[in-house]
Amino acid sequence: MAVETPPRVTAGTPSTTAKPETGQPWKERWGGLFFVAPFLLLFVLFMLWPIVSGLWNSFFNTSLAGVKQEFLGLQNWRDLFGDPAVWSSLKNTLVFTAMSTPPLVVIALVMALLANRKGLLGWLLRFSYFAPFVLPATVVTLIWVWIYQPGFGLVNGLLTAGGFTEIDWLNTENRAMLAVVITTVWWTVGFNFLLYLAALQGIPAQVYEAAAIDGANGRQQLFRITLPLLSRTTGLIVVLQLVASLKIFDQIYLMTTGGPNHATRPIIMYIYETGFTSYRIGYASAISYLFFAIIVIVAVAQFKLFSGRGEAE
Amino acid sequence: MPPDPALFRPGRRAVLGGLLGTLALTGCGALRSQPKVREWNLFGGGDGARLLQIHQQYVAEHPDVLFEAHTLAWGPPFYTKLAMSAAGGRAPEVATLHLSRLKGFSPTTMLDPIPVDLLADAGVTESDFLPTSWNRAVVDGKLYAVPLDTHPFVLYYNTEICQKAGLLGADGKIKTVKGVDAFLDMLKAVKDVTGKFGASVETTNPWRLWWTLYGQLEGKFFDETGTRLVLDDAKALEALTLMAKLAADGLTPRSSNYSALVAQFTNGDAGLSFNGEWEVTTYQTAKMPFSMAPFPVVYDVPKYAGDAHTFVLPHQSNRNKDDTKATVEYIAWMLKHSAEWAAGGHVPAYQPVAKSDEYLKLKPQAEYRSVAPDVLFDPDAWFSGSGAQLQNEAAAAFSGVFSGQATPKDALAQFKAATQKLLDTPSPV
Amino acid sequence: MTTATLPAATKPPRWNFPKTASAVGAVILAVIWLVPLLWALDTSLKPEPETTRAPITWLPESPTTDAYRSVIDQGDLIRWFFNSTIVSVLVTTLTLIVSVLAAYGFSRTKFPGRKVLFGLIIAGILVPPQVLIVPLFQEMTGLGLVDTYWGMVLPQVVAPVMVFVLKKFFDGISRDYEDAARVDGASRWRIVWSVMVPMSRPILVAVGIFTFIGAWNNFLWPFIVTTDPSMMTIPVGLANVQGSYGLRYAQIMASAVLGGLPLLIVYALFQRHVVRGVGDAGIKG
Repeated sequence: MAVETPPRVTAGTPSTTAKPETGQPWKERWGGLFFVAPFLLLFVLFMLWPIVSGLWNSFFNTSLAGVKQEFLGLQNWRDLFGDPAVWSSLKNTLVFTAMSTPPLVVIALVMALLANRKGLLGWLLRFSYFAPFVLPATVVTLIWVWIYQPGFGLVNGLLTAGGFTEIDWLNTENRAMLAVVITTVWWTVGFNFLLYLAALQGIPAQVYEAAAIDGANGRQQLFRITLPLLSRTTGLIVVLQLVASLKIFDQIYLMTTGGPNHATRPIIMYIYETGFTSYRIGYASAISYLFFAIIVIVAVAQFKLFSGRGEAE
Repeated sequence: MPPDPALFRPGRRAVLGGLLGTLALTGCGALRSQPKVREWNLFGGGDGARLLQIHQQYVAEHPDVLFEAHTLAWGPPFYTKLAMSAAGGRAPEVATLHLSRLKGFSPTTMLDPIPVDLLADAGVTESDFLPTSWNRAVVDGKLYAVPLDTHPFVLYYNTEICQKAGLLGADGKIKTVKGVDAFLDMLKAVKDVTGKFGASVETTNPWRLWWTLYGQLEGKFFDETGTRLVLDDAKALEALTLMAKLAADGLTPRSSNYSALVAQFTNGDAGLSFNGEWEVTTYQTAKMPFSMAPFPVVYDVPKYAGDAHTFVLPHQSNRNKDDTKATVEYIAWMLKHSAEWAAGGHVPAYQPVAKSDEYLKLKPQAEYRSVAPDVLFDPDAWFSGSGAQLQNEAAAAFSGVFSGQATPKDALAQFKAATQKLLDTPSPV
Repeated sequence: MTTATLPAATKPPRWNFPKTASAVGAVILAVIWLVPLLWALDTSLKPEPETTRAPITWLPESPTTDAYRSVIDQGDLIRWFFNSTIVSVLVTTLTLIVSVLAAYGFSRTKFPGRKVLFGLIIAGILVPPQVLIVPLFQEMTGLGLVDTYWGMVLPQVVAPVMVFVLKKFFDGISRDYEDAARVDGASRWRIVWSVMVPMSRPILVAVGIFTFIGAWNNFLWPFIVTTDPSMMTIPVGLANVQGSYGLRYAQIMASAVLGGLPLLIVYALFQRHVVRGVGDAGIKG
């Protein structure tokens, strides 16, 4: 996904009209392919081929153990629709997305508004807000599992100190997902924060000066100028965030391994378990395709929505 | 105008060249004459600490072998990695495997058979094992695993706390309790002393406790063909109801994972602990007053959930003869030194050690090793065994019984449905 | 621009209070965001028995670096650090080279099927790598690349979004520079490295940093394609391999601190580039 990149160097001639070049006709006609070839080779090997072979496998009972491979026709696909684990893990994925996206957008915006200042304080704020994002998932989850630990963890330590009863966050069905979402917000909000910050810094100061001359106070400037000017950025962030949240795997695998009682197991983890833990490569490929279709639908829908709005501006 | 490119070129090339050079050095293991033994295990508890010491001795005695051991996270992570490494072709030379997992691991494709002749050369033969454990390691007439130990579910007790609770006999050992009421009284007495819990339990994975209780009720799981679930609902519910009562009365925590189970017994929040016998080293290291006993016979017959660790040779696409020889010698060496392994809690499978004075003198091992013949293995199916899907489904369903989020009835229904689904799934092995 | 209709009389700015309030709010939020990191550091400096004490102790009563010493002595962490460095550097270098070439090819050259190919690659942006783990692992077993650096690196090099971003950027660069270089006799290959690359340095630095962070932190793919602990990267190794036994919360936190430190330092040093990079390219790692 990409933001409109403001060209640094103003365009001279439109790019598509390549000028005729001197040289041999063969080189002239095919030489360009040479530049594209390395990427294309890797693209075919590690993206196109697995897409095709995954589809192929989904019609077989391919096993990781390599013991047999029989053609099943549509059996895997039929099983898929009758498999409650598919639907419950899909539901968990959507629940995670619905729970994590709003705070990841709103808190990022608040952070950007707060941290849009110069000097040492600005640097420190930007550092604190974004620092978790550069940590690997494992480091993040090791820290948070420890924080959520009953008995001697930080959160429960605070709860008991405040006279509340402690909660075993990661092992309680209706708390575990919340715990994962809190961790995720802490970890990844920094990226959205930076996108907002960049957008904020792109608003020319004259706009505010003009507004101040018109007598607009801080609150009016925020709601009438800043937020409307950020709407495009917000659209972008929501798009990126929804797709990113749908792909949830790392934090959940590392914090709860999908538990308790599969209450946090996302669809990617079910694919992983089916394919690698239970050896059922063929069936896992079929589930992958179901999820693939959902991602593509969401992404295309949003892209349409987003690019439509982009043109309107 | 563009800066002079010559400034950047050599640098970039040097960096790349350096990188490729490094890769060539590290990626290539062919330039060696020493045999190599890489061992993977799943001993994350006190037995892992014990294994580390034993391995240090092995390395000291075998300077000619390139030896490397790794502990991977117990259960599904370990078995998934092991299977993927066997599928990938660059598996370690040797790994530990639960005997209950052997058939479901697809031994004929994912493991290489143990060269029995090499094993005999190293001084270990069939006669060194009990027939039951040896025979379980044979698949299609070939030996695929070398049994290392057996590990029953046992009772740990804090001698100081239990003394205060009046549970110790004149000999300083815990008095044997029998029956549900006596069992509950014992837990209550301990709870009164600790002020917190009676026993620490892994509520997030209560399979071993449930399987022990259900086994003591003489409950069956599969029919003779191994294809039909014949779970006895009344008995299963009886065991689950008892587990729910333990948590509801505060005799055990409502929610605790494995590390919390260890911590609660160590710091005295619980005076008893229901667990496998592999944490001896941890509690000895903590210098706490503790001993062990067989898990109480709460119901009708003495049965104790358990399993056995074995050594296997994961499948390699290019197995090296020298490495294999060194690996088999390593296995034999480990068996002959399994008294040290047994000091960590496990009951050795290698009979020359199991019958040795060195082992027989070990405390507190002497207090519980007699139950080894009554160890109850997991149901026999490709999805069953330590850390396999059946246990995971049981954990998913039964942990709610402790936390109070599920009634025993609902939990059982969920577990049965999940088991049926596994039965209906065509075996991938 | 605005429709505010307040009298135009210039009032003295009265925002001192909100400004202070927002500064205080910003600092509070920053502290909340830093607490988990500090708590990890705090725990890592405690002796093991103190970590499980209830009620919790805020600062270590007898601070010790024992946990760090044992974690480093176990040796794996250093090996994983080495692996992470190799993999991330390779991924970043190869991604930049391959994507720059492809972007140039699509932006400046003509060959039959160019548009179709570009469309295909853009469609690749929609493919989440997560759905490919199963067939890709199968493919790696076939190629014998499981537990190798190349197995980890090559699939990560395929970043269609990078080609897209760079092509758009190249499209905006005037052709005058190339034409001048061509008059001097430079080949297209030479033009890429001596005209296009130097002119796109800011964006290349930005996407390079993000590719590096993304590769360093990538969990799922290295997790799938490595099984051998000595081939794992830091995130994968920390998650899968246990180096100590018994009570070990302080050690776990010590390894978390050590595992997170390299990129925190990189980030602190290059914050300006990172912040600007997001503005320039807006790429999700």
